[in-house]
Amino acid sequence: MYKYNFAYEFKSLFRNGWIQLLTILLFALFWFAFSNGHEKVAKRQADIQAAFDEVKESDQVMLKLLDSVENGLSVSASPWTIPSRPMAVGNYHPRVAAMDPGQLAYIATGQSDLFSHNVKPTTSGDDAALNFTEIINPVQQLFGSFDPSFVIIYLLPLIIIAFTYNVLSAEKESGTIRLLASQPISIHSWVLQKMAIRLFWVTLLLTLILVLVLFLTNTAGNLMELLPIWGICIAYSLFWFALSFAINLWVGSSSKNAISLIGLWLLFVLLIPSVMNQMGSTLYPMPSRTLMVNKLRTIKAEATEKQDEILDNFLRDHPEYAINDPNQGRSFYHRYMASQQLVREELRPVVMEFEDQLQKQQAWISQLKWASPSIMVQQELNALSGTSTKDYENFRKQATGFANVWREHLLPFLYNNEPFSSADYENLPAFKYQPLESKGTSKTIVILMVMGILVIGIGYLRGFGLQQKNNLIIQ
Amino acid sequence: MIRGTFLKELKELTRDGRVRISFIIVLLLLLAATWISKNQYEQTNEQHHQAETSERDIWEGQGSKNPHSAAHYGTYAFKPKYPLSLIDHGVDKFTGTSIFLEAHTRNEAQFSKATDQTGLARFGELTPDFVLLFIIPLLIVFLGYNAFTKEREMGTLLLLRSQGTPVWKLILGKWLSIFLPIGGTVLVLFVITGLVLSNLKDFGVFQWDSLGMMSLVYMAYYIVFINLILLVSSKVKKSGISLVISLSIWIMACLVVPKAASNIAESTHPYPTRQEFVANITKDQQNGLDGHDPWNKQARELEQQVLKEHGVDSLEQLPFNFDAYRMQKGEEHTAEIYFKHYNYLKTQFEEQTGLYRNLAVLSPFLPARFMSMAIANTDYATHWDFADSAEKYRVELQAFLNGDFAENSSFGEWSYRADASKWKELPAFEYDPPELNETVGRNGSNLMILSAWVLISFSLLFFTTKKL
Repeated sequence: MYKYNFAYEFKSLFRNGWIQLLTILLFALFWFAFSNGHEKVAKRQADIQAAFDEVKESDQVMLKLLDSVENGLSVSASPWTIPSRPMAVGNYHPRVAAMDPGQLAYIATGQSDLFSHNVKPTTSGDDAALNFTEIINPVQQLFGSFDPSFVIIYLLPLIIIAFTYNVLSAEKESGTIRLLASQPISIHSWVLQKMAIRLFWVTLLLTLILVLVLFLTNTAGNLMELLPIWGICIAYSLFWFALSFAINLWVGSSSKNAISLIGLWLLFVLLIPSVMNQMGSTLYPMPSRTLMVNKLRTIKAEATEKQDEILDNFLRDHPEYAINDPNQGRSFYHRYMASQQLVREELRPVVMEFEDQLQKQQAWISQLKWASPSIMVQQELNALSGTSTKDYENFRKQATGFANVWREHLLPFLYNNEPFSSADYENLPAFKYQPLESKGTSKTIVILMVMGILVIGIGYLRGFGLQQKNNLIIQ
Repeated sequence: MIRGTFLKELKELTRDGRVRISFIIVLLLLLAATWISKNQYEQTNEQHHQAETSERDIWEGQGSKNPHSAAHYGTYAFKPKYPLSLIDHGVDKFTGTSIFLEAHTRNEAQFSKATDQTGLARFGELTPDFVLLFIIPLLIVFLGYNAFTKEREMGTLLLLRSQGTPVWKLILGKWLSIFLPIGGTVLVLFVITGLVLSNLKDFGVFQWDSLGMMSLVYMAYYIVFINLILLVSSKVKKSGISLVISLSIWIMACLVVPKAASNIAESTHPYPTRQEFVANITKDQQNGLDGHDPWNKQARELEQQVLKEHGVDSLEQLPFNFDAYRMQKGEEHTAEIYFKHYNYLKTQFEEQTGLYRNLAVLSPFLPARFMSMAIANTDYATHWDFADSAEKYRVELQAFLNGDFAENSSFGEWSYRADASKWKELPAFEYDPPELNETVGRNGSNLMILSAWVLISFSLLFFTTKKL
């Protein structure tokens, strides 16, 4: 029976054009999405490269100036920008802290349209002022991007729904179910077989198209890198097929099936995420940024008033600086950097409050993401792409850490009243981004599969019930 | 016959359990979304008010200091929230809410809400505009997909035809039976929102005509959907097929086209990166007058010119402090550079807007979304307007401070301190959003495209459906 079923299904799917349509549709969607993804990643890489090039150029100028100063020549730059002053190096020749895209960055735009991927922390900037955002038309952020993750999360289920919503009901509506009922196979097994055949086709086409698109959009593509994405696609498809199987057995007419499936799609893809998001931000509300600005201002104002006192305290805490300077020469920057240090310390808890709340919201979502397979897939794809909330938090943390390294490297020059020289150039610290490892993929795939199997079980339950009451045909 | 069809359809819809449940769910969603938005709105407004007052206190209480120190100390412009943002949040959560106004630099709005949210927020938020723009069209699909196909499937179409009723009367009856419940409910909700808004304290610039205009936009949007869905239903034989086609229209219009449009807009008219943007500005600044640097070439030229104008031969003889005067000139020069570069951004933004407008031919969602945001003052153009007026205030602020410095001190007198009461003289920053007629004028083309959608879909429905 299985063999007949398979041959029959293949013929009918092919003759009514479903397979052709599915191939064209999946190919067009994935190809467009992959191209968009690659375009974004290429731009990101180019932007990072441009930032490095600019630093390289400004370093040449700096070295030339240093050379002139060291050789006692007069230079035409403004005195406070001459790099023999350590703070001029720190502020006018900062290093790039860049977040390089991972191998799969093109799969999900995630949070990457909200943040900049390269910052240049200066010595006198404060951590709260380090700008991690990018100039972008917010309409694009509002509409979102047509990336592979959009095709997988939103469109793939819809395609599956359109492909399967009337597997059983069409037989009922055309009257052929009576013929089927006379066959030596239970109806639910028969529906399951039909579903399995369609799942097989979707899997096959998805596999071929993913491979094809990978090579069309990315010549250096490595097949193995797509394996986790492929696994997620298949497990997610299995879930939607299972749902459609259950609905086919539980509901009835074609349109009722379609409406129920679309209702479930709406529930999983739009409603549960937005309600969970709302609950997350109600449970762990973000403090107000506008009020943070106020706090920041007050702390800074107080620090400015007491700059001299602060410097005295600072030098008391750092006797190594006070000792080395017999003249106790104090410039603007001596006072300013000491007070900035204090401002930073006082501000840290205020800034950390935001990160803490964000972390708590993220933890809350991780606990409850099982409520919707779409959330699971989104979180997983973002993590694989390195564009999740956590990844940007990680980058912020590392870049802020680097800001500190940069400052700490140059402060001794300032407080020891030592000029910065071309010999010191080699020792300037550089930033290296350490990406997060994403390890949860196989777990997500297994859970999605288990969910799918459970839903199939629910469908089976109904199938047995119908069989026993023998009312499938009359229904 | 129109009335007969209308009543029969309405009765059928109310008897259908699916329709009842979906209608109730949509209503509940809309109410929940409005309630959440109202709370957020009140909270944000209170924080805004608090921040503004306290920032003003900080500015006024900075004590006696050099005006240029005050200029570096700076102040903040906070972006207000407007009543209709309760209905359409627009791009508000992606644009920052505060701009730091300081000497020499034009800053951008900082701290957007979206950066303080997790990735989950990207699925969409439970806000009234989400329900109005996405869910209600879907409800229309469910209400209307089988309007004609069911008659065909049950064979009642033959009966209807045998009565000799003109087709357009049948269509109109069915059309009304979908439009009136949807339109009526939405209208009632808009009126309730209006009443809530006009009773909120600090409701500021709330105007009934803006709300009226907004409800018209939504009505037009729903009319387009009803027309399209009924058109499909009248052309197709089976309910199932009609449903699938109608859903595809919804998916294309609300999800696919906007996202594809945003990708196309970004790749055809890209913005410079922040890094590039800043580098270009710095380059222009290096070639121009540096207000701080008396040794700069342009500064020397300015010096000669001023000396000649006043007929004196040293800066000390000038009736004002030349340091402050030069700084003001430098400030004006920087402002010009910023103006030039921001204008470039603006042209890119306008090109992108034009592209969205062209793609609106593919989706009625786009003009409706843009109109709704514009009326609610939560669109990108309003944000530009706010940023521009903050910049204008910044330039005035610098002129105020440098003017005081120039008038009340002599050349080289960097130790000059302005009186602590000086800061109060600066008028506070105020921003008035564009008026309704200005918004409508600016969005004329969106309005036209939406009207075209209404007209064309109506004529398709009524003129191409001669026979059922």
